[in-house]
Amino acid sequence: MNRIWTLVATEARIELRERYALSGIVLYVLSSSFIVFSIWRQLPAKEWGLTFWVIFLFCALMAVLKTFGKESEGRYFYYYTLYHPLELFLAKVFYNLFLLLFIFLVLWFVLYVMAGNHIIRLGWFLTTGFMACMGLSFLLTLITSIAIKTQQNASLTAVMALPLMIPLLINILRLTAYASGTTPDENPWNEMMLLSGIISLVVGMSLWLFPYLWRS
Amino acid sequence: MGILLYVFIAGWIVPLKPGIIKVSPEKTAAGELVVLDVTGYNTSFLTDSAHLRAWLRLTGDTVIAAQHVQAWDNRNLSASFYIPSAFPFRQEAYPLSFVLDHSKDGTSVLPNAIFITPAAIQDTADLKLWYQHKIENVHTKAGIQYPFRNILAETIRNTYFHVPMWFSMIILFGVSAWYSLKYYKKGDIDFDRMSVAFIKVGLVFGVLGLLTGMLWAKNTWNAYWSWDVKQNMSAICLLIYAALMVMRSSVEDDMQKARLTAGYNMFAFVLVIPLLFIIPRMTDSLHPGNGGNPALGGEDLDNTMRLVFYPAVIGFIMLGLWISQLVYRTDKLKGIA
Repeated sequence: MNRIWTLVATEARIELRERYALSGIVLYVLSSSFIVFSIWRQLPAKEWGLTFWVIFLFCALMAVLKTFGKESEGRYFYYYTLYHPLELFLAKVFYNLFLLLFIFLVLWFVLYVMAGNHIIRLGWFLTTGFMACMGLSFLLTLITSIAIKTQQNASLTAVMALPLMIPLLINILRLTAYASGTTPDENPWNEMMLLSGIISLVVGMSLWLFPYLWRS
Repeated sequence: MGILLYVFIAGWIVPLKPGIIKVSPEKTAAGELVVLDVTGYNTSFLTDSAHLRAWLRLTGDTVIAAQHVQAWDNRNLSASFYIPSAFPFRQEAYPLSFVLDHSKDGTSVLPNAIFITPAAIQDTADLKLWYQHKIENVHTKAGIQYPFRNILAETIRNTYFHVPMWFSMIILFGVSAWYSLKYYKKGDIDFDRMSVAFIKVGLVFGVLGLLTGMLWAKNTWNAYWSWDVKQNMSAICLLIYAALMVMRSSVEDDMQKARLTAGYNMFAFVLVIPLLFIIPRMTDSLHPGNGGNPALGGEDLDNTMRLVFYPAVIGFIMLGLWISQLVYRTDKLKGIA
């Protein structure tokens, strides 16, 4: 576990050293929110949730895309001798999880300021957000690790990851609708159970498959 | 192949049971005499037309019988009713079902055939008219026919083609995932070839399933694509596997390609199951089997249809497996990994 945190810390240090990385994400969030907002003009509660997750998805894709991109071949070989693939994978996942949580908070702040607050069940929204970040960071990390081996990794990540995200996304949207009070959902626990079911499937599958896919 | 020949011939040729397509007028006021023009389908009103009987049914045994039934030709007849001015319970409008009995065609029903608006002056003496008659001594049609369902009509035959397509697709993708697992364990490039052959054929079946579904939807839901959950989910499922094929084409190294395919294939198959089976069940859908619509079973799949439906499922699955084998062999001969 300690070794994983060391890797996460290294990643974070590299990222912070290059100032443009984090501020790039913030700017991406801001500009996409502005575009969406200038199209919609106003955001009622229902559209607020949809907009939030659409922007979040694309920001997440953009942020995670360069997970495996920035290291040189040599560094991977070095890592490969030092770490078990699972340690490397978990480090990347945790790092991406922090990135996604960061995007989540920034985006929430931006939309809060621009379009007002529509969340009436804060606990549900935060839990949903955390679960979404969890699921997406596992899924996206695995998919980028596949896409990095191909010729055109940026478009392929989107093509392969977007349809796989749909089951997650549908549940997240429903829970968000519940959190903002736009659906009379009597039993949100069902949705929550299904969401955690799908996430644990994603986690289990990616932990099982990554060491196999990483060998090369 | 014999099975499929039988499915195609039996699926297309066996006629539907007689039914009623249309009754006009569609609404009238209570307390009036109304003459209904009835259009039938596959009916033979002229034979034994003296024994035609018709009813309008409110609920269960609450029925009124036609005063007079006149057949014009085999598909058209007129039935005159006196609609009582008083009803056993109060409602804004009363939907009545039209029931017709014929000695040769058997009984046919058109639910909610006519809507009655309440009369201004209600005569409580009319109440007893509702209980004077009963629907009894009805006939059933002899011979082998598929059931006539309203709206569905001839499109009920789609059960033999659309449904088996999806069954075969899921089985093909399942077999493909199984071969991916084998490749994961053994590392033999032949297993990779096998699993890709199954994905290719599964994709074709999926597209055919989507197309047959869209044709059917045009006739029953009045639009090729109505953004129904089932339609969206199946389209997304196809997108996932299409993405897999794109991914394969952009990897140079054969072993790398095989490994990535095996990984993504197993990952996708595990995620497709909630996609196709759990999520559509949780939301309202127009599709049979969801949102209170009947699916396999009940009145939409009677014993006559089972005689064709089960062979159709078996036939199409076997066809899929067979074609996959052929694809695998040609790929192997061509040396495509």
